[in-house]
Amino acid sequence: MKFTFAPESKPLDGYTIKRAIHRGGFGEVYYALSDAGKEVALKLLHNNLEVELRGVSQCLNLKHPNLVTIFDMKQDSEKDHWIVMEYVGGKGLHEVMHDHPAGMPIKDILFWMSGITAGLSFLHDRGIVHRDLKPANIFCDADIVKIGDVGLSKYISESRRSAQTQSVGTVYYMAPEVARGRYGRELDIYSTGIILYEMLTGRVPFEGETTAEILMKHLTAEPDLSVLPEKFRPVLAAALEKDPDRRISEIEELERRFRMAVEESGVVTDRPGAAQATSRNRKQAVPELAPTLIKGVNTAAAAQNSDGSLGETFRSIVQFWHHRVPTPVKWVVYAFVLLGSLKRGIIGFSWAEIGLLVVIYAVYRKFFSKAVESSSLPQGLAGSGKATVQAGLAKGEATWPVTALPAAGLGAIQTVAVASPVAVAASQNYSPATLRQIPSGQRAIDMTTSLSVSLAAVGLVTTAVHLATPLLPRVVDVAFFGTVTLLAAASLIIPAKFWEGHASDHLLRRLIQGAVGLGVGAVAWALQQFLMLGNSQLLHAEGPGMFNGGQLGRISVISSDGLPTMAGFMMFFGLLFVARRWWWQADSFRKARFRISSTLVSLLVGFILTAILPFPNNLGAVWALAISAVVQLSAGWTPQEERWLAPAPGPGKAVPLLTPVRHPAVGSPVAQKL
Amino acid sequence: MSLAELSRWKHRLLRQVDLAGSGTHGLVSRDIPVAGNSSERYIIWIDGVGAWQLCVGSEFLIGAPTREDSVADICLMAHLSRRHATLQRIGEDWFIHPYHPTVVSGRTVTGAASLRTGDSICLAERVRLGFRIPSVLSGSAVIDFESHHRPAQTVDGIILMTDSVLLGPRKDHHIYCPDWPELVVIYRQDGQMRCRSKAALTVNGERVRDSAILSDGAIVSGEEFRFRIEKQSSNIPV
Repeated sequence: MKFTFAPESKPLDGYTIKRAIHRGGFGEVYYALSDAGKEVALKLLHNNLEVELRGVSQCLNLKHPNLVTIFDMKQDSEKDHWIVMEYVGGKGLHEVMHDHPAGMPIKDILFWMSGITAGLSFLHDRGIVHRDLKPANIFCDADIVKIGDVGLSKYISESRRSAQTQSVGTVYYMAPEVARGRYGRELDIYSTGIILYEMLTGRVPFEGETTAEILMKHLTAEPDLSVLPEKFRPVLAAALEKDPDRRISEIEELERRFRMAVEESGVVTDRPGAAQATSRNRKQAVPELAPTLIKGVNTAAAAQNSDGSLGETFRSIVQFWHHRVPTPVKWVVYAFVLLGSLKRGIIGFSWAEIGLLVVIYAVYRKFFSKAVESSSLPQGLAGSGKATVQAGLAKGEATWPVTALPAAGLGAIQTVAVASPVAVAASQNYSPATLRQIPSGQRAIDMTTSLSVSLAAVGLVTTAVHLATPLLPRVVDVAFFGTVTLLAAASLIIPAKFWEGHASDHLLRRLIQGAVGLGVGAVAWALQQFLMLGNSQLLHAEGPGMFNGGQLGRISVISSDGLPTMAGFMMFFGLLFVARRWWWQADSFRKARFRISSTLVSLLVGFILTAILPFPNNLGAVWALAISAVVQLSAGWTPQEERWLAPAPGPGKAVPLLTPVRHPAVGSPVAQKL
Repeated sequence: MSLAELSRWKHRLLRQVDLAGSGTHGLVSRDIPVAGNSSERYIIWIDGVGAWQLCVGSEFLIGAPTREDSVADICLMAHLSRRHATLQRIGEDWFIHPYHPTVVSGRTVTGAASLRTGDSICLAERVRLGFRIPSVLSGSAVIDFESHHRPAQTVDGIILMTDSVLLGPRKDHHIYCPDWPELVVIYRQDGQMRCRSKAALTVNGERVRDSAILSDGAIVSGEEFRFRIEKQSSNIPV
């Protein structure tokens, strides 16, 4: 890029140009030193001279910390006009956005938003509309957000707001009413909304090959808000409203609603990763923001506590359980509850059971806790880095290094965790219902890994059933139970992994599962025939259920010797598979790797089915529980903070697809060396 | 005794006081070298990119400026001693010699400590600098400003040049110039700063064939870029 003036040029008396900064739409900007050494930015005006000069002259004496100060306006010997401005070092918002292609951390967004709001509010209060608000015009110097190019601002009054019809601004951030020559302050709200959208997602809502295409989209297309966390959607919808009269009219209102959405979305702002500030200039600002957010969280918590209703109490207990109880403790409690359920009311644990619990805990400590630990620090970050983090914690500093980590453990999608709060914010809304693109290779790897792990999970669960209940006294019973559980779990995991990320009709899925269940039932029946389990207590139905004489029409569901027939087996597994959303339990984006509630609901479903069907009560219920436990334990799972998705490339998609992304820092040399 | 001699005596005395002070803190042993303005300093002004301070040498003193001059090579507007710490390249390795409270990546260092790329240097609890060696092709290091503290003349970073400095379009170049088509190497040969590139270069308007000497104030231009290198004198706070 060539610039008109070379270093050491002196186009204006008293100023020496040292280097060119950039070339904008309205002219070239240079970094210069006054004769005394004061650094300034000199803007040489090329185009739109009249507009620019009028705008600048109106803004010459505005003073606000969040606006780039204009010192003076001068003419050189060639009669060219120059604006002498405050030099703002530090990164521009567009550079910061460039560093975060999948969206910026929420704290950073709040920080920028707060500065933009203060600056714009000052302008709007004086009847001035910026009209050219865009990331390239917003800077951060010494922790202060500065809005530049105020020279484009237009002095407005109610009578003159539609007076000028000249089309100005940058099209990506241009409000639709500009096309009609309307320049109210809502125009800046719209631009701020676009910037907010871009900060959250890493892309602007309206893209196109040509200026005309983008403008047309501003005028007619609705922004795709589905890529945003749910709480942010109404705020952005109100800011990006096409009709300026229906749009949020005050910038403070936009900021207030955005902050509320942040608080409501439950972004954990005091976690270490959340405190990271990727821009070196913003590190000091983070603590200033933190109290606001923490205050909000506390207020919400206080409101909950003051409401003494049962629902609120239950909610607080659940919250306490999810956020405060250490995971190892949860696992031990889960195991106790499971074993307790298996015993069906028999209180007291044998030494063998206690031993098993210890083994489960040890396995957890060895594998899962390590996975968690490794995912909380950059890979290969030995003592020194860890010490930095700890030292930062001790001082309460928010100076966290950018950490980009590969997904740990058995995560189904090769996602990359970025220890950033926006990832948390976004991921809190990611569920098995989130539509996303998963590469077929990843899908295959996830499926095979899940199936391999299911072998171990079946072993663990069958052993637990064998030790905790009198259900499986013989080895052959254990083998039968284990094999059928494995088959059932695998039959549920395979379709679930095929369906993962796709949209589909739930009823259809249930029917498919039911058909698979019929097959599993048939195989289970064949297996018990093969193993000659006819005289095993395991399979003796305790009652005919709702079926008189074990007959369902012409189909016999129970044989003369009291054993379920093939039809009985098929019916039980068919209904069991229909009754639950098993794909939800196997999805990588399920709430937790293992949820006791899901397992207990499966147990309950098993009980209900065996109450209806002439199928062994104990076996049926425990089978349902065991299958649920195995599916959850073995199916790949991506932790919440590692669910890092970006909109899939390619316009015109009917459904808003998200795709796993790799944070750019992973590939950078610095990150590798970390 | 002339004024110049007086000034020299004063500096020698101050240096001894600094040494004695650091000795009582137990931060450094007497055999650790104490650099003092041992490097040459330049500023590179790059159009569309930024300004970088270039320190050439193998020992670089970090400190605060005085009213009269800037003894330190990395002279920061901060509440630091005039001689707070020295960065030194020995062989292939970089070391920091602290004279006053210094923390490197969370570890308090009281004696010479090695530096690795990615280390964060914290001086006097408030001044934070990043240390990195971006390229395997060069041992020169880059100091990034992680806190607000900067030299009096605003620069985007400081390059500690031991052999060469790479300016180019990749992030593992010392100065990342995203829009440049080619790498430009600044290096030192026979006591002179030189530059070369695969791209067609002119220095002060004259075409460069292989490499060219960079004199004070030289303007280097290519098809799509331009920069100027300017020598800094030590009696102006840099």
